[in-house]
Amino acid sequence: MSPKETASNLKMATLLARIIDELREANEKLELLVSSNHTLLDTQKELIRQTSAKKKPTQDLRLAPDVMTLLSLPMSLRKTVMVLYKLEKATAEDIAKETKRLRAVESSSANQLVRLGYLKKKREGRDVYFYIEPQLEAKE
Amino acid sequence: MNAKVISVHSSRGGTGKTIIATNLALLLAKKGINVALLDLDFRAPSLEMIFSEAIERPVKCWLNDFLNSQCEPEQLLIDVSEKYNLSGRLLIGLANPAIDAIRNIMEKSRSWEVTVVKKLFSLLSSLFTNMKIDCCIFDTSPGVQYSSINAIVSSDVSMIITTLDSLDLKGTENMLVDLFGALDKKPVILVNKFSPETRIKSNENNEKIIRRLEKTLKHQVIGLIPCYCDVLQTERTSLLAVEKPNHPFIKDLEKVSEALGYTLQK
Repeated sequence: MSPKETASNLKMATLLARIIDELREANEKLELLVSSNHTLLDTQKELIRQTSAKKKPTQDLRLAPDVMTLLSLPMSLRKTVMVLYKLEKATAEDIAKETKRLRAVESSSANQLVRLGYLKKKREGRDVYFYIEPQLEAKE
Repeated sequence: MNAKVISVHSSRGGTGKTIIATNLALLLAKKGINVALLDLDFRAPSLEMIFSEAIERPVKCWLNDFLNSQCEPEQLLIDVSEKYNLSGRLLIGLANPAIDAIRNIMEKSRSWEVTVVKKLFSLLSSLFTNMKIDCCIFDTSPGVQYSSINAIVSSDVSMIITTLDSLDLKGTENMLVDLFGALDKKPVILVNKFSPETRIKSNENNEKIIRRLEKTLKHQVIGLIPCYCDVLQTERTSLLAVEKPNHPFIKDLEKVSEALGYTLQK
């Protein structure tokens, strides 16, 4: 090996050593970042868990059947909600009288709205009543 | 058809909603019909100024307070029939024009808006059963806003005021499809500030223009009110139905009220 080649190889080896050092440093920084992100995520998860345990209505607030939300619902569900704005609580039959649709149709729509979280239902004797739950925030 | 609850709406501002709502209410009350007029334009309330001579200060209860469950319908509604010598009763419900009240409304949550629709229905129930009101008119905010959609949802008929300006017409057309179609509500359209020059140029009579508009908008057009320069120049707080009952603008509104199902022979 000529002295020129030896010098070039040495230069290459020094460069590679520097690259390896820098990569090691970058790797350490990334590990630190990932670890702090994990901690942050865990903290956020815990916060969400605590908030939803303490304040269940948060979910209801997102599902308030306001008029803008109404516009995003399918027509069949929209009609049912519009009747429940007017009536405090109503059975599927009460709703059907207003919408002039079949009781079974209203029962299906109202139950779907309950599943979606927009309506609540309660049993009183033999009747099942659907209603829009008054929101906590509404009484500000 | 006798529309008990009429919301007066438009796609854009400046079409003449408030002047039409106010004078229609006065006109009906003058003919012996018991009317309630509510200001649902919470962002730019006007009825408080228009009826300033008939209102006792300070106002005990604004519509804002009623919707916040802070007062009852009886405290909200102000009877102005005596002041204007009306045969029927005219009760007005005012929106609070104070900047804090406007800001407060703008900061409300979606869940509060649900309560508003229910409160409006309960107010209507009080008006028709306890207070023996025959007709309720909502003056709304233009465009798509919570207060106006709440009014549309709780009304029997929405009267959309438009001019023949292309922006107004296009806005109305879009609203008819996107809003009224979605809510399954059948509105009626009233053209205001119609320029007779338009008619001369296109060589069409009013009937033809109405038919053409109905074909485009696919909804009933109940009238074409010409642009009266003196009305435009009059103070917006003046009450034409009281001050100039024979004005052609008021005569046009008589036809509008008939189209809405109110016969005015009394």
